[in-house]
Amino acid sequence: MSGGPYNYSYIFKYIIIGDMGVGKSCLLHQFTEKKFMADCPHTIGVEFGTRIIDVCGQKIKLQIWDTAGQERFRAVTRSYYRGAAGALMVYDITRRSTYNHLSSWLTDTRNLTNPSTVIFLIGNKCDLEAQRDVTYEEASKFAEENGLMFVEASAKTGDNVEEAFLETAKKIYQSIQDGRLDLNAAESGVQHKPSTPGRNNLSSDNQGSKDNCSC
Amino acid sequence: MLSINQDIFEIIQAKFSSSEVVRCIHLNVSLFTELSNEEYRILALVTKKSNSALFLFFCKKPNPIHLSDLFIETVIPIDENFECFSDTILGEDKYLLFIVKYRNFILEFRIKTGLESSNFASEIIKCKERSLYENCDHRWLFKYSDVKSPLDCTENKSQSPDIPFVRQNMAQNQNAINRESMLKYQLKLKEPEFTQYQEFTIFTGTWNVNGQLPSISLKPWLSCDTEPPDLYAVGFQEIDLSKEAFLFNDTPREAEWEKMVLEGVHPNAKYRTVALTRLVGIQLIVLINIKHYQHIKNVAVDTVGTGLLGKMGNKGGVAVRLDLHNTSLCFVNSHLAAHVEEFERRNQDYKDINARINFRRHPTAIKDHDQIYWLGDLNYRITELTTSQVKTLLLRNEMATLLKADQLNQQKERGNVLLDYNELDITFPPTYKYDLNSDTFDTSEKARPPAWTDRILYRGKGIYQQKYRSHMELRISDHKPVSALFKSEISVINQAKYRKVHEELLKRMDKLENEFLPQVTVDQTEIKFDLVRFREPQFRDIIIANTGQVPAEFEFIKKLDEQSYCKEWLRITPYCGTVNPGEKCDIRLEVNLETDLVELDDILVLHLNGGKDMFIIVTGKGQRSSFTTSMRALCRMSKPIMTLDDEQYRKIIALDGEVLYSVPRELWLLVDHLYTHGLTVKDLFESNSTQDSFIRLRDWLDFGSTEPISVSVETVAETLLIFLSYTKEPVIPSNLQNVAIAASSNYHNCKNIINEKLPDIHRNVFLYICMFLQELLRHSSENGYDAKTLASLFGEILLRDPIRNSKPQASRGKSNFIYNFLVNDLSTSIIPIK
Repeated sequence: MSGGPYNYSYIFKYIIIGDMGVGKSCLLHQFTEKKFMADCPHTIGVEFGTRIIDVCGQKIKLQIWDTAGQERFRAVTRSYYRGAAGALMVYDITRRSTYNHLSSWLTDTRNLTNPSTVIFLIGNKCDLEAQRDVTYEEASKFAEENGLMFVEASAKTGDNVEEAFLETAKKIYQSIQDGRLDLNAAESGVQHKPSTPGRNNLSSDNQGSKDNCSC
Repeated sequence: MLSINQDIFEIIQAKFSSSEVVRCIHLNVSLFTELSNEEYRILALVTKKSNSALFLFFCKKPNPIHLSDLFIETVIPIDENFECFSDTILGEDKYLLFIVKYRNFILEFRIKTGLESSNFASEIIKCKERSLYENCDHRWLFKYSDVKSPLDCTENKSQSPDIPFVRQNMAQNQNAINRESMLKYQLKLKEPEFTQYQEFTIFTGTWNVNGQLPSISLKPWLSCDTEPPDLYAVGFQEIDLSKEAFLFNDTPREAEWEKMVLEGVHPNAKYRTVALTRLVGIQLIVLINIKHYQHIKNVAVDTVGTGLLGKMGNKGGVAVRLDLHNTSLCFVNSHLAAHVEEFERRNQDYKDINARINFRRHPTAIKDHDQIYWLGDLNYRITELTTSQVKTLLLRNEMATLLKADQLNQQKERGNVLLDYNELDITFPPTYKYDLNSDTFDTSEKARPPAWTDRILYRGKGIYQQKYRSHMELRISDHKPVSALFKSEISVINQAKYRKVHEELLKRMDKLENEFLPQVTVDQTEIKFDLVRFREPQFRDIIIANTGQVPAEFEFIKKLDEQSYCKEWLRITPYCGTVNPGEKCDIRLEVNLETDLVELDDILVLHLNGGKDMFIIVTGKGQRSSFTTSMRALCRMSKPIMTLDDEQYRKIIALDGEVLYSVPRELWLLVDHLYTHGLTVKDLFESNSTQDSFIRLRDWLDFGSTEPISVSVETVAETLLIFLSYTKEPVIPSNLQNVAIAASSNYHNCKNIINEKLPDIHRNVFLYICMFLQELLRHSSENGYDAKTLASLFGEILLRDPIRNSKPQASRGKSNFIYNFLVNDLSTSIIPIK
């Protein structure tokens, strides 16, 4: 009951990156609206979405930046990596080229974010099994070698979409709990929301003491 | 007074975390500058470990009763920068001026002189002294300031706070509260979707025990039903009539009666005390069948005295509130004023109890509960009938007549008391007044008429009273205990359904929030300019339309590592602004090419404050022009630049090919025209020709023509200046400019630079221009030019700064340099033009 049903304790910044047409905006839309956006136009810019989720009993507000995937915008979208707590790196399992470019996306992410940024690899369009061009095993190996979290998902059916966003948040939250992510550090991508007046601080303190959550 | 202070103290402490301790508070503080008495403030001294700070609270009410009545207005850290002192206020001896200073920040308060203020001041001074020996760390205060994230705090920390933190984000927080309450409201509306009613048996009992010791089992009263109830609410009155109980509100009987109740409850279930509250002799115990214990939340108690002086506890009410599953319950046990004629006093007591019970820990009023059970010795009597009449009517079982004469029924009917409360018809004999240890009505001298003083009423939905009875066999008091059994519908949350509804609502609110993000559309995100020609601006308008629900503040923002929000050949007007919902804004993009750029390419970032960013791609092709081509290339062109085919052009630009001219053909054409037609024209270089005529001349040069120049001689003169201003390299190359300026006082040195350092074509151009200017000076009587004027005009151009728009530097040096070549004879001393 503490804190009420709408308050949130943290804000996490996410970015979604990857080649053009891999379904970044559709993943965001599926996550925020629970709908598949057919005929989604190419993102010319950076879309912005938000949703409040629950991690270990903590309300966390996700601020998600969905970037344009076109190569010509690459130099511009690099501005948006800074201060991301989570990076969702997306490829299309039916187009090998989008997979082949991952290492370049990864290089950008590593160079432009901080070491505690959680990078989550998503193989999108897993509903199109017949057209598969990249095997699960291959991508899984790539993820493992690079220390990334990984799922195959479908923005169309919604499979694993929720999981990818939530697992990323859990990992970030864990980092905060372990003290690996320094909230005071610039560009941690996490903000602590000050409590609102009218809210009983004592009860939120109680919450703090039972932090050993199971995730 | 002391108890009010204590309550407020607790409320203020609740504003802080447990490690932040409120040491003392000062009520009724007003800002000295404020004339109005409508505003209430409280000062609180708070410490965390060895650090202290003074908090100024703004209160909505003179005596706050809830957390939300208080806002932190200002936070002042107590450290070496902190000072406080007091002063007298002229013409006032009851109040004094209390001044708090933190560096340049000063607050002046008006406070009452007295123990409270002197204690408070001395506590502050203690903290201040301690701060001098400790390392002050004010980071814990950041969360109370209007800094929104700890990221900002780190900056603050390094500077150390300059002024105390004044809270400005109240409105923002208000917003969060509104959202919160909106969600609560929505959840309430949707309650039927995730709750179902479950019947609970509630046993309520009341007994005025007349100060008697708890010496008998309560089983005949509390366990008289076959099935064990789910909840008990048992009220007593007069458990202790001693002076000590009255004066100190302390009695051993409390625990004794509780024990008797716990022993007397139904044997077929286990019970646990939820709450026990007592005011002098008025005691209320609420027990719950342990299987329901975990579903009880937000338990709070309160007591109100209405006895002597209107506030002593010999009469009054005590109450327990709780949430059982999703239904809020309130139990009130009251002992109202005695004596037959005092019914109005009883009505008043009832009103006072309602008004004053507020369950400070969980602020609610009695009336706010879903279900209310009101029990107690309400003390209403039977009027207009003598004792013997009452007894006779009772014997004849003429209950209706008797109940009509019952004051409570009469007062209730008139709406004076317990409005909207229900009571099952009374079928039991009056419960007062009996001879002790008997079932005989009062046989004393007074022979009071029997009365139904002990009553249980209820208010709320889904309450079904099953039984209403007295228990004759409990004889120790002059009252008989009464009990009422209810089947009450309790709203139980189906957790799975609740989660679903809650999640959906959250999602809807997220969606709402996303919808309330600023949204605009731009009518085109790819702007293609036609062939862009030298100094011939073109523009395109784009339309930003606000398609969202909130005003959109837009701004074109810089990309990472770039100097400006757009390239130097582009201008955006306006580059920032606000568009209201449903409205549009035209943005003009203007290109003006002044370089030899062939591929124009820029990505603009249109940023919405608090929302998304849009990219706008701007492309175009620059047309080649002699004005932006290097002089060395121009000297290799046998014909106008636009008449070259691509291959020829590419070769020449790469300086592949023979040098055909000593100066560019275009330069010669311009100078030659001025030589022929302009030497005697007054203020030759000072007219502003039209854009159109410049373009005609530019095209005449770039495309070539058999026609003679058709523009005015002034246009030709201005075009010459433009030509020299945009040559790919300044005539005196950038790397030689400082040397040239340094040498400007010595003609010989200047000459050496021109002769030895300048590339051939540059030297030719330089001397060609100087010779033309000397020719111009020969006609100075007609054209009005002198050497100094021309030197300064051409110095700026021939030694132009490499970066356009940067501040012109050392223009005196530049003009001095040129001056040398305008007043000395060039023909003898300079290597002739090749």
